[in-house]
Amino acid sequence: MKKGIALLLICLLMLTACSSNSNSNSGSKNTGNAAADTGTAGNPATTEPAQAKEITIWAWDPAFNIAALEVAKAEYAKTNPDVKINIVEYAQNDIIQKLNTGLNSGTTKGLPNIVLIEDYRSQSFLQSYKDSFYDLSSSIKGSDFADYKAGPTSLDGKQYGIPFDSGVTGLYVRTDYLEQAGYKLADLQDIDWNKYIEIGKAVKEKTGKALITLDPNDLGLIRMMIQSAGEWYLKEDGKTPNIAGNAPLKEAFEIYKGLTDSNVANVHADWSQFVAALNSGDVASVPTGNWITPSITAEASQSGKWAIAPLPKLTANESVHASNLGGSSWYVMNVDGKETAADFMAKTFGSNVEMYQKLLTDIGVIGTFKAAAGGEAYGQANEFFGGQKVVSDFAAWTEQIPSVNYGINTYAIEDILIVEMQNYLNGKDIDSVLSDAQAQAESQIK
Amino acid sequence: MAKSKRFFMYLFLSIAAIVSIFPFLWMVVSSTNKSVDVTRGRLLPGTHLLDNFQKLLDTTDLQLSLINSAKISITTTLLALLIASLAGYGFEVFRSRSKDIVFNILLLSMMIPFAALMIPLYRMFGKISNVFPWMGIDTMTSVILPTVTTAFLIFFFRQSTKMFPKELLEAGRMDGLSELGIFLRIYLPTMKTTYAAGAIITFMSSWNNYLWPLIVLQTPQTKTMPLLISTLGSGYAPDYGMIMIAIVIGTIPTALVFFVMQKQFVAGMIGSVK
Repeated sequence: MKKGIALLLICLLMLTACSSNSNSNSGSKNTGNAAADTGTAGNPATTEPAQAKEITIWAWDPAFNIAALEVAKAEYAKTNPDVKINIVEYAQNDIIQKLNTGLNSGTTKGLPNIVLIEDYRSQSFLQSYKDSFYDLSSSIKGSDFADYKAGPTSLDGKQYGIPFDSGVTGLYVRTDYLEQAGYKLADLQDIDWNKYIEIGKAVKEKTGKALITLDPNDLGLIRMMIQSAGEWYLKEDGKTPNIAGNAPLKEAFEIYKGLTDSNVANVHADWSQFVAALNSGDVASVPTGNWITPSITAEASQSGKWAIAPLPKLTANESVHASNLGGSSWYVMNVDGKETAADFMAKTFGSNVEMYQKLLTDIGVIGTFKAAAGGEAYGQANEFFGGQKVVSDFAAWTEQIPSVNYGINTYAIEDILIVEMQNYLNGKDIDSVLSDAQAQAESQIK
Repeated sequence: MAKSKRFFMYLFLSIAAIVSIFPFLWMVVSSTNKSVDVTRGRLLPGTHLLDNFQKLLDTTDLQLSLINSAKISITTTLLALLIASLAGYGFEVFRSRSKDIVFNILLLSMMIPFAALMIPLYRMFGKISNVFPWMGIDTMTSVILPTVTTAFLIFFFRQSTKMFPKELLEAGRMDGLSELGIFLRIYLPTMKTTYAAGAIITFMSSWNNYLWPLIVLQTPQTKTMPLLISTLGSGYAPDYGMIMIAIVIGTIPTALVFFVMQKQFVAGMIGSVK
């Protein structure tokens, strides 16, 4: 009987060993392990050439962020051929989940060297796990990038993130529908949102097309509007909810209601419906981030029918014709290999003007690196948009985006506002809508 | 009267069948369409099946992920069946005063959601990595070990063992078989249907396991099928046709396992020994 049990145990061991065998190789390939070995072996702080020869980067979207990384990787290999760069692709939500678990558990094992984080979320990571991120103040200068990126990427005067893509917004419009309604592109250069609704009514009347399509579960439009007036859901400290008494927010709510009440807005439920609405010609305009360009130009039959106007502005505060929606930045984690990772970032996204031209022409990335805007590729005319120099327009607007502190609770507050927005659309009074939301936010965020 | 009753029964069942089959139909049909057609809600089969498949092969390492998933699921299933059946058998057959206490504690562990275990578990494997890198973070062992047996499966085997005729045990002992011999030669062959049902349940949950592999696996070389599918939807402009064919391929193994063992599964759920 004892023999039998022994046999069973051996079988068990073999099974586990077999299953892990093939992976222990790839496991040790992971920089975390390799770097940890060298790190603990040598004397810790002073060994400067103990740089890891291998770094790992997490990002999402193969057509955009990953593609940009591949370009940077090739650029870096020209001068540093001995550094191996592993690019690992995950969905954005997966990255958040993995980062949260990894950072929360306090083990640096398995964390990447560089990670891409959306600007709206970056402060929550930086403030909660400040020591887990590497201060890049000595490698790059925050002032080399668009001013509005300083808010999300820095903390306590230290630069933690390398600003990446611009989420600069514009008003994409169908010029053919506009003309049928009696307007020209020139009429849209300096309008406010009320005028925008007015144009929408004319378009609806003449063409039967909706002016805009809205997702009730995504208040991106509100975010764009309030940032154009230099305000946010939170006060400048990034912690105190700023809802009741926020004049631009109030106006943004009123415009949102105006859009639905005047019957010029369609509704979509997810991204695919959103893109389908643009491609099928059901809507006459879309105010959104520049990253929508590839989705619009995908419908080649509409070439020449689109143009991009500056974003309409609010009447409250000193609202400008420029805002931001989305966009993300790179962060170097404070794990072994951080010097190599910082060097990689500084030599590519932190300084390489030529590379940004390539990113733009090959992938369509509009960066936030100021010096890159003077490059040749940025001045190209785009035939799809009727020969408009869209990128140089976007680059000019990027510089005007007001900087706000996205704080650590953007999405938590948005969840509250989504519900309150429905109450508002159903007839609740605007001031009580905002003060109720303020009370909820205050009790929820401590 | 009886006729109209039957009519409504069939009507209700038909509606229920359509509701449960439609997502599958949608998945299969969409895998043959272009991304644009999928978003437009096209319900007719298209001609882009091969294009989508080719794109999937070009953009991902499908084969590797399938092999990874298969390795993990098969190993987990085999080990889980072995451990859970031994435990279930032991709990029911042997006498011990404390066994019910132990069993109740085991059942209580079913109530703790995985989300609460995740961070301590990750920390634990982080520590293990320092000593045994071959079973730490980013290895298949780290995916298999936490799911290698579940309280549910032990419970399932114990319940089934209740119907196992004890006379067979006595006969085995009388004839001089060792306890392990009884388990292997008498219990195991008699309980085939229970094993089949257990295998299906374990294989499915292991194949579809998402959260823990997502967190503990780090390199593209270890990606499993659910992780691969999740990554496909990560773009700002996802290719729905390609995603759908990946999901179809990811569904085939579980469907296959189920259809092969369907008969035994039903028998096992009802009760194995006749």
